[in-house]
Amino acid sequence: MRLRARIGDGAILLTAAATLGFLLYPAVVVFSGSMQTNETLFARNRFDLTWDNYRHIFDAGFGTYLSNSLAICLAATLAATVVSVMAAYVFSRRRFRWRRVLLTAVVAGQWFPWIVLVTPLFILFARTGLTNSYSGMILCYTAISIPFSVYLLLGYLETVPRELDEAAMVDGCTPLGALWHVVLPVMLPGVVATATYAFLLCWTEYLLALAFLTQPAMKTLPLGLYQFFGEDTTDWGAVMAGSAVTTLPALLLFLPLQRWLVSGLTAGSVKQ
Amino acid sequence: MMAPARRRTARADQVFVTLMLAPSLLILAAFYLYPMASNVWFSLTDLSLMKLRQGGAYIGLANYADALGGADFWRVVWNTAFWLTAVSVVVRLVLGMALALLLNSAALLRLRLRTLMRLALLVPWATPPIVAVAVWRWLLHPQAGGINRALLWLGLTRHPIAFLADTATVWPAIVLIMVWNTVPVATLTLLAALQSVPRELSEAAALDGAGSVRIFRHVTLPHIMPTIMILAMLMTFWTFNNFVYVWLATGAGPGRYTDVLATEVYLRGFVDFNLGSSAAIGVIMAVAMGTFGLLYVRVLGRRVAS
Repeated sequence: MRLRARIGDGAILLTAAATLGFLLYPAVVVFSGSMQTNETLFARNRFDLTWDNYRHIFDAGFGTYLSNSLAICLAATLAATVVSVMAAYVFSRRRFRWRRVLLTAVVAGQWFPWIVLVTPLFILFARTGLTNSYSGMILCYTAISIPFSVYLLLGYLETVPRELDEAAMVDGCTPLGALWHVVLPVMLPGVVATATYAFLLCWTEYLLALAFLTQPAMKTLPLGLYQFFGEDTTDWGAVMAGSAVTTLPALLLFLPLQRWLVSGLTAGSVKQ
Repeated sequence: MMAPARRRTARADQVFVTLMLAPSLLILAAFYLYPMASNVWFSLTDLSLMKLRQGGAYIGLANYADALGGADFWRVVWNTAFWLTAVSVVVRLVLGMALALLLNSAALLRLRLRTLMRLALLVPWATPPIVAVAVWRWLLHPQAGGINRALLWLGLTRHPIAFLADTATVWPAIVLIMVWNTVPVATLTLLAALQSVPRELSEAAALDGAGSVRIFRHVTLPHIMPTIMILAMLMTFWTFNNFVYVWLATGAGPGRYTDVLATEVYLRGFVDFNLGSSAAIGVIMAVAMGTFGLLYVRVLGRRVAS
């Protein structure tokens, strides 16, 4: 029996090791590759550490892309989270006419292929001068973040007892006051998790940026990263360094929030 | 005395509800409803990217007839439904379930590996899809990629394989990229569900002499079924509509071998300049997903209620 247990442990240890390798190897390759020259990347047994790739991508405009991405994504995340909290709150706490239809319509935004937005918005943006502008991208990213944010927030709101905000209103709070002073503090981790999702959605968005940002000075990180892929040759050192710069903020956001991110995903849909 | 006051608060509450919903609904109307409506209109015209200013002429359902009549279209539908969506969702669910069971096993806890595994899962999950594709293009690189080096070293192949350029390997390679990037969501969600199964249930079943496989099938699986269903639905939406995995990994190539609906919309509109026929494919996509979503919500709603 003890031998069997030991063999079982060994099998699990091996599986765990293989899984860890599968999960982590690509990330190790990115961070180590970002610090090697293109020559050593292709050579088998050489390994010279260098910051040249990072210097190179920031010379090639990565700093601009980074600040564009930050400005657009932070503004869109803020806007999407605020309007989503407002909508999710009344969807969760009030019963009104058209509630089911409107809620389904909002949440159904998740099912919508973004590629369908490209042509009509491309024409609209061209007419209104929103192409190559922060405001156009911020509006776009706010719009694509709302459906999933409302869906997540509904789940978190279900965990806040209704009696809490009802009691606050009996004590003379306005509805908005009840949301702000009572409900929000309780569900703050959920709001933060929702904002994180929204931020990452925008941070990594490629298609709409490709369509609406054509001037180099306006481009975001994802577009900047794929500039290093050439038709014939690819600057792999730059790709690795650019990948590292794009991934690091996402990784830092994920670590403290992982538990909340997981619990929110399936909480919302069970009860509607 | 009370009635007018109550009516006033009811009216005030109606205003409150409207004001709270207005911003979201207006943005969604402008960025989903309006584009969808104009797409339906474009799909009935011969609008071209080169002649945007003139607009397109109404040509009825010709774009739809063209699309549905072409053999290429059905190949694209097959690519999207089978390879991009069905295969990748099933692989992620099965692998995610296996990893969740591994993480939930007492042995892993005893070996003090559970926390390490949880943290490791965050790495692919936090990796943006655009970066995941970039890295795997490097790992699958014929000359320098780690995968080919390993295969050559192990003697499993004589010549390096150009995974993303060979029709025999390109779809499994794209699925691999998607699985690496998103299996953590499945794993961690299923793990949370597994941990919510009351221990008494499986202990009682074990006392009745059920083996671990039977406990899993008859106790654990029914309990976590709603989670699996929701996960399957979310992943289906995320993948069916996805543009970046295929576009950035292969550009719908080699040739147009890995063309899916999302890339087809892009190619028709922005490479062939035919916005009308591109819009028709887009409308077909949106209708397909909308129908699937409503069906799923109906089925799921019934199941959760009962």
